[in-house]
Amino acid sequence: MFNSLTGSTAHVGNWPGVTVDKRDGVYKKCAEPISIVDLPGIYSLSPYTPEEVIARNYLSDEKPDCVINIVDATNLERNLYLTTQILEMDVPMVIALNMMDAVEKNGDKIDANELEKRLGIPVVKISALREQGLTELMDKAYNESKKRRCGVTVLQDSEIAHLIEDVKTALSGENVANPLFHAVKLVENDELEVEAHKEVLGVVNAFKATFNDKIFGNDFEALIADGRYKYISRHFAPVLTRKDRAKFGMTKSDKADKVLTHKIWGIPIFLLILFAIFHLTFSEDFLFLGAIFNLPSLEDFPKFLVEVDGEMTLGYGARWLQCIYDGGVMSPGVIINNIWNNMIVGELFGWIRGLVEESGMQPWAIGLINDGMIEGVGAVLSFLPPILVLFMFFSILEDSGYMARIAFILDRMFRRFGLSGRAFMPMIMGFGCSVPAMINTRTLADEKERTATIRVIPFFSCGAKLPILTAVAGAMVGAFGVGNADIITFAMYVLGIAAAILSVLLMRSTSLKGETPPFIMELPAYHAPQFKNLMLHLWDKTKHFVKKAFTIILASTIVIWVLTHFSFGWQYLDDEFINESILANVAMLVQPVFTPLGFGSQLGEFGWVFVVAAISGLIAKENVIGTFATLASCLAAGGHIDINGLDIMAENGIDAVRAMIMANPAITGAALVAFIAFNMTTIPCFAAVGTAKAELQNKKRFNYTLLFWAAASYVIGATIYTVGAWWWTCFIWAVIAAGTVTFIVLRNKKLAKKESLTL
Amino acid sequence: MPIVLAPQNKELQIIRIAADDKTKKHLESLGITANGNVTVLSSSGGSVVCKIKDGRIALDSNLSTKIFVR
Repeated sequence: MFNSLTGSTAHVGNWPGVTVDKRDGVYKKCAEPISIVDLPGIYSLSPYTPEEVIARNYLSDEKPDCVINIVDATNLERNLYLTTQILEMDVPMVIALNMMDAVEKNGDKIDANELEKRLGIPVVKISALREQGLTELMDKAYNESKKRRCGVTVLQDSEIAHLIEDVKTALSGENVANPLFHAVKLVENDELEVEAHKEVLGVVNAFKATFNDKIFGNDFEALIADGRYKYISRHFAPVLTRKDRAKFGMTKSDKADKVLTHKIWGIPIFLLILFAIFHLTFSEDFLFLGAIFNLPSLEDFPKFLVEVDGEMTLGYGARWLQCIYDGGVMSPGVIINNIWNNMIVGELFGWIRGLVEESGMQPWAIGLINDGMIEGVGAVLSFLPPILVLFMFFSILEDSGYMARIAFILDRMFRRFGLSGRAFMPMIMGFGCSVPAMINTRTLADEKERTATIRVIPFFSCGAKLPILTAVAGAMVGAFGVGNADIITFAMYVLGIAAAILSVLLMRSTSLKGETPPFIMELPAYHAPQFKNLMLHLWDKTKHFVKKAFTIILASTIVIWVLTHFSFGWQYLDDEFINESILANVAMLVQPVFTPLGFGSQLGEFGWVFVVAAISGLIAKENVIGTFATLASCLAAGGHIDINGLDIMAENGIDAVRAMIMANPAITGAALVAFIAFNMTTIPCFAAVGTAKAELQNKKRFNYTLLFWAAASYVIGATIYTVGAWWWTCFIWAVIAAGTVTFIVLRNKKLAKKESLTL
Repeated sequence: MPIVLAPQNKELQIIRIAADDKTKKHLESLGITANGNVTVLSSSGGSVVCKIKDGRIALDSNLSTKIFVR
């Protein structure tokens, strides 16, 4: 709606709380340009969630020329509740009856002219999805803004009408703007109002003492709510003529809900949908066709192979084919990813690299541009397709209205951990990428719940952390001949989830204590997602991402490159002498810190590589394995290790990690697992840290979050290493854990006691 | 009786909401007010989905024991 008026691309979703802050825009098709402010979608002007406060303050303090009240026509009575509150303000208003198409499709009718007469303000039928009626709406709003309107209330017939009148007179005596609105709120005992007008409160309380209604006692607030709804159903509801329908006829939405929110089947259905989404996005074997029919890979067909530099590789055409099929049909997400990475970005960047290499620049300049900038930006851009595809699926779920149901069916499970069902969506998005996941936490009403959720999101191992898992696990199997790479990978995912649950429990019982907010959620009617909406959303996302790749991430890759290629004497170093670089020296300095995790001082001369890899992971997690590859080639070139038979530049990184193991014979399996665990749970990549900072909006809270990530990963890594190396240390950890739990429980008891004493 | 025990698909009247002020106001703005009408659509393990006016509202088990209907 706001988007079509101002031509911007704000995100719209099918549940309340998507617009969480006000946005400004300009509408230019009227006599003079009109500045439009989009306020958060709200149910009332009582402050329950932060967005209701934003909207209310704007309306009463900023004094807009005219309010466009968008009313969902499919639930007319409920939505007019807000209308009756705005009516009490001294501000012109136009009503936009939205979703009229849906009402008419049901066979119902709304007489807009009659409603206009009864309300005394203009009513315009519109369809925001189809962009109908918007010009008329803006014209009416423009006309209306030239007039003045005095607040009226629908409560003039109720028992407390004269009380409201008295308070209003008192307030206008003090030159309060919108006296009627504030008067009603004060009578309702609204917390913000009681703060603001303490002096008039006496009138209300005196009246309250003498008042006793047979249903409501002296609960004015309930009385007023009931008065509003009564008035609405008596005066406004008749404009709606319903088609004859059995009174409890089920709509299609209700029927779908019977299945999708079913007591037993709800969760399995949801898991199936989730699996399908991940399968469509990440699977290289779509519908498991390859595994089932044992399909051959492309390299098994000699006619696709061409000879380049004495090696047989796939021809150009065959590489296109490889994007779609290689021993199994790729899923749509992977096809897009392959085309983007292997063909577009790969070729383009390869071409640029070639140009730079032949340009005859200084070797350090070539290194900086090729290995620093292009490599770094390329790595980030390569993640664009999976993120966009995953985002698209989640947008479809959100747009269709299913997301609200998921939150509902999972609420009971989440309540045990001190979170509400709404926290689920950001967490599951964390498996794709932490950045959109953290943005998604805006739908959580409670500040503390939101902070806790943001903090555990990185524990849900994101796409960029997967290469660390597979590479190290694969190398362990190769080097020690132990275990099974799949099991290690899977166990790490489970570990992440367990760590998240434990951390939430811990935070909710210590620093972020607070009652889990009650779960009240409107379940919107299902509707098909809008293509245009979806595309706008994705485009917005792309822009954001690309901008970041060329600013923060570009800068940080340059810094890392400089630190690895210069010595403390600011002498340029070739790749072979990486051991003398600033970064290596600093890494050696901090190396002892990681001794309890198994990859610290005990490793000897080249132990610092693990530290460097972990540090480079702070820029982007995909750097970890990339760093291993670079370091392995440097070490091999310096003659420190013999990499015969290993392909260190292979994409899966397994051999690069094996080379690292060769350089550090002292490292153990437990230390490697600890290394993976540390990288998975530590401070996330640059992009995620930046997002967390923006979303937390509080410097102190953000610093604690960084500290929490560092501490959590350190403890987890240390536990794994010590228990893996000396099994009996598990008793020590168990004692520490038990001690911590007892301490927290006792402390909470004490605090609760203190609280009850002060009350 | 609390709404969690109420029969499904039958129009009921809300008689009392025993929640704190803030929650109650939020419920009111969603149409759940004392003296108002409500229909339970489904109720499983304490959570309730009900129809109020023309909207569908989901409530957790904690709240559904605090809303009394008749």
